Amino acid sequence: MTNDEKILTELKEIFIETLGHDNFELDGNTTANDVDGWDSVTHMMLINEVEKKYDMKFSLMDLMSLERVADLVKAIENRQA
Amino acid sequence: MKFLETLQNSIEVHSDRNAFFINGNHYTYRELGTAITAIRVAIQKEIPLSEKYVGLITNDDLETYAAIIALWFEGKAYVAINPIYPKSRNEEILAQTNSMFVMDSSPSPYFEKGFKVITTHTLDMVDNNDLSAPKKVEPNDIAYVIFTSGSTGIPKGAPVSFKNLNGFANAIDNNLSFSLSETDRCLQMFELTFDMSVVSYLAPLLKGACVYTVPKDSIKYFQIIKLLSEHQLTLLIMVPSIIHFLRPYFKEIRSESVRYSCFAGGKLYSDIGKEWNACIPNAQIINYYGPTETTIYCGGYLFDKEGNNKEENGVVSIGKPFDNTTYLVIDENNNEVEDGQTGELCIAGEQLFPGYIQNEERNKLVFFEKQHNGKSLRFYKSGDMCYRDQDGDYMYVGRADFQVKIRGFRVELGEIEYHVKKKLPGLDITVIDLDDGNGNTELGLAVCSKEIDLKPTLSYLKENLPPYMIPTRFLFVDKLPHSVNDKIDMKKLRTLF
Repeated sequence: MTNDEKILTELKEIFIETLGHDNFELDGNTTANDVDGWDSVTHMMLINEVEKKYDMKFSLMDLMSLERVADLVKAIENRQA
Repeated sequence: MKFLETLQNSIEVHSDRNAFFINGNHYTYRELGTAITAIRVAIQKEIPLSEKYVGLITNDDLETYAAIIALWFEGKAYVAINPIYPKSRNEEILAQTNSMFVMDSSPSPYFEKGFKVITTHTLDMVDNNDLSAPKKVEPNDIAYVIFTSGSTGIPKGAPVSFKNLNGFANAIDNNLSFSLSETDRCLQMFELTFDMSVVSYLAPLLKGACVYTVPKDSIKYFQIIKLLSEHQLTLLIMVPSIIHFLRPYFKEIRSESVRYSCFAGGKLYSDIGKEWNACIPNAQIINYYGPTETTIYCGGYLFDKEGNNKEENGVVSIGKPFDNTTYLVIDENNNEVEDGQTGELCIAGEQLFPGYIQNEERNKLVFFEKQHNGKSLRFYKSGDMCYRDQDGDYMYVGRADFQVKIRGFRVELGEIEYHVKKKLPGLDITVIDLDDGNGNTELGLAVCSKEIDLKPTLSYLKENLPPYMIPTRFLFVDKLPHSVNDKIDMKKLRTLF
């Protein structure tokens, strides 16, 4: 499993836990539009959970450019590096 | 109609300037004018004069904005239809306005049947800087209709006339030292189904300024900051919930370009207002106030960045009415109360809408005539509880009914309950507004029963209501708490979630 895949799997768990359902696919191209319940409110919750899980703090600059899940994976990797 | 002529003139005079920035592309006033002309030709060809209300699918593109202006120049009203909302609700809306025609720029039409669709993005565009003059409109002709939540389960249509909108366009220039010019860069963050969108595009276009729209499929508050930092926006019109979301990141925001930061559509708290003002140090914050029924907003308060602001329970004053508007605070018998006494705020004046569509019952409840300073005025009961202080500034205290604001959207808890009850007949249920801990409101559903699977109920709600009206927190109780006079004790119930 590549690091990308590992993070994707972990993200899916966070999404299921936060959104309360698993009725979605999560890959690099997924956007908020594709996932039921991923809106402006839950987005903040998702970010908080991701920050907790990876023990990191995103900057506003990181968060501004998140459009697809791939951007989130990249932001996590950048912070890990 | 003066504002339509000003708009025509502005589009012609500013032809080389940018009118819009949408999804990464700039569009000049010349391009806007060309699109308006093409759409007007289509309207003249396809839509009979007698058709006054035309549906408009609210996409985020030039054609959609051009269609609004084309409809106005043809003397017609637009009825905004958001394609992400349930189709059944959208059809209900167009049934209320008796609309047969729909303007649509979607790649494939949103309505497959039931309506005559005018496709706006495939029309022949002939580059031309001369717009033909707007048709003459009657002051009471309608410019747009906004549908808001209705406690009977059916959305209420609030039409706004050309006279109302003209009054508004004058009033924003004449009050609270707000003044735009052609060099301004202005945020448009609202769905077109929400009337704060109207000021967000109309105010800039009247002055030759540029409108920056927030992409639809995005997390709005981050996109706003992105537009702000990449394009040095100068005017931000927002609902207060946006800055609640951004608050954890305030220390990373510093934008010298913002001249005005306007709020409406929710309570602005003075502490967060002051913190936000530090992020935009050159900006004047204006706390505007007004229901959709009195045309976007009809009064406001100039915020002091040092924090010396009038407030009630931490909520910044809503200031004074515009010079074309009269406020009156009344008791249960429609009698004016004294300064300092809380009562229901009632509003009269040029911006007062003519009354809900096909809803005489409601109209009887919300309007009344009253002598005021020797004149008989028609007042609208806003449902907002307020008082006036000795300087004539108004303070917002709370709602008189079960209407709440979710991210700026007006929601009647009764409308959600109506739909929940359809799916859970025989069960005692209540929908309640809850604080999410960040100063924003979310919806809770309390059900009197042992724990049951709410998934079918929620998917039913999603088919019938917009996303912001779907409860996100749930509670199962044996009995709903009641107060002494047998009403549900909402305060107590809130503590149980």
